Amino acid sequence: MRDRGLPFVLMAPAFLIVLATTLYPLSYSLITSFREWRLTRQRRPGDFVGIDNYTGAFTNHEFLSSLWVTTVFVTISVVATVVLAMALALLLRRTGRLHTFVRIILILPFAMSPALIGVSFRFMFNPEFGVLAQGLGAIFPFLKGVAWLADPRFAMGILIVTDVWHWVPYMTFMCLGGLTAVPRETEEAARIDGASGFRILWEIILPQMRGVLVVVAILKTIFALKMFDQVVTLTGGGPGASTETLAYFVFKVGFHWFDMGQASAMAWILTAIMMVISIWYVRLLMSERKLVTA
Amino acid sequence: MKKQLFWWGERALLVFVAVVALFPILWMFLTAFKQPLDAYRVSIFFTPTFNNFKAVFDEPWYLGRMVMNSVIVASVTVMISVPCASLAAYAFSRFRMRGRKFLFFLVLSTQFIPAVVIVLPFFLMFRQLGLLDTRLALIIVNLAIVTPFVIWMIKGFIDAIPVEAEEAAMVDGASRLRVIRDIVLPMAAPGILTSSIFCFILTWNEFLFALIITRREAVTLPVGLVNFRTERGDLWELMSAAGVMITVPIFIMAIIIQKHFTRGMTAGAVK
Repeated sequence: MRDRGLPFVLMAPAFLIVLATTLYPLSYSLITSFREWRLTRQRRPGDFVGIDNYTGAFTNHEFLSSLWVTTVFVTISVVATVVLAMALALLLRRTGRLHTFVRIILILPFAMSPALIGVSFRFMFNPEFGVLAQGLGAIFPFLKGVAWLADPRFAMGILIVTDVWHWVPYMTFMCLGGLTAVPRETEEAARIDGASGFRILWEIILPQMRGVLVVVAILKTIFALKMFDQVVTLTGGGPGASTETLAYFVFKVGFHWFDMGQASAMAWILTAIMMVISIWYVRLLMSERKLVTA
Repeated sequence: MKKQLFWWGERALLVFVAVVALFPILWMFLTAFKQPLDAYRVSIFFTPTFNNFKAVFDEPWYLGRMVMNSVIVASVTVMISVPCASLAAYAFSRFRMRGRKFLFFLVLSTQFIPAVVIVLPFFLMFRQLGLLDTRLALIIVNLAIVTPFVIWMIKGFIDAIPVEAEEAAMVDGASRLRVIRDIVLPMAAPGILTSSIFCFILTWNEFLFALIITRREAVTLPVGLVNFRTERGDLWELMSAAGVMITVPIFIMAIIIQKHFTRGMTAGAVK
């Protein structure tokens, strides 16, 4: 009973930080998104212009194109990550010295700075002296001399590869956590009854992994929507605007064109998309404990 | 026969995974020790040199200053956010007060706000206050991404500690604060350490905020990488040397807490 006020006292410092560093700027940018404010012309925020910035966003050709780029990037990157992470988790599930070694190794791509990942992949895909460009050209003759990052499709492909390379390890660990909750007995029984490996995976393991896989997919979607660093250091949004994701485009409108009102509106559209996904996710986490057993 | 084939197949796959995960990192480390000429050739045979590391710390790159910035920004962020987050995590884990679910929901959802949205107002605010290009500004914005995440992670660790010891101590008349200090903190220490290192890595690798808020004085390592793109083209050997400087401290930390690391990484998200 004497504890009544204590939890709030304990939470106060952290909440002050969270309020000051996220909720305050969030509301500030929401207000800015309804104003005219070009830093190149005015020091202080200008008039309220209603939803002009929002309609402006949806009539902006480049914005719509970045929405499309984001959709392509997020879809492929999420699907690839989930499939690879699940496969890797199945591979790493057993115990063995090589298994443990690979598990430790997998921490490294995750710990590596995404900006640096972008830089190093740009180096490796340099058409003249990049080791991967040269190597792929030597193995597959039709890839010889491809100007990787100057080709929109390859540039997008490499951008996705960097993101998948960075995130698969984390997601693999999540899947491994989920797999520990899948009882081995059912699997053994099915195996003794002569079920094929594929059927065991499809009918026994995957259904029990559903909850974890949903969590992995949603988390990865959120991370993919936020992805920014590699766009700057790998492709710079190019060639053309072919790899300009939404997060990058907002940055460009805000800090190259200095149109604060427009950038805020676009940032809020991105936020709205992410909010829908994350609210769904958090509710899933908090209400359906059964679904997520790990 | 079939079994043996399977055994070898599994080994081969594991080795392949290790190669894919390691290759980009290894290539960067190799390049960091190459002479400029060798860096522009695909070769693994070369005379190694330390010149690149000397060069990046010299004029005009001054990587030392960026290392300082990164170290200070990341450590101060950890020192502020981890203690605050630990207390909040304890409250979330142990008390069933009104509004708890809503507050936790609030904390979790801030985690998913795109950083661009937060950085715009901060940029404007820091411009007004003359705080652009300072470490203080970077610490403030980094707290925004890191704090909710750390609360979440530490809560996962505290949830795993049985409450019985605490209850027994309270029955014996110990105050709640004493219980936290003498019982919970020692037991949660590995989790708190793991979360601190996690938080350090996040801040250390942070790119977007630093790119926008710093110009010269407060530039951190990841943003410093962009400097090696010059009119003469990309200076890959120097970039790689800088890359090694960014990754080595982080890799060491990650490997040290390896066991807890994989658990902590997933504790918050799955629990």
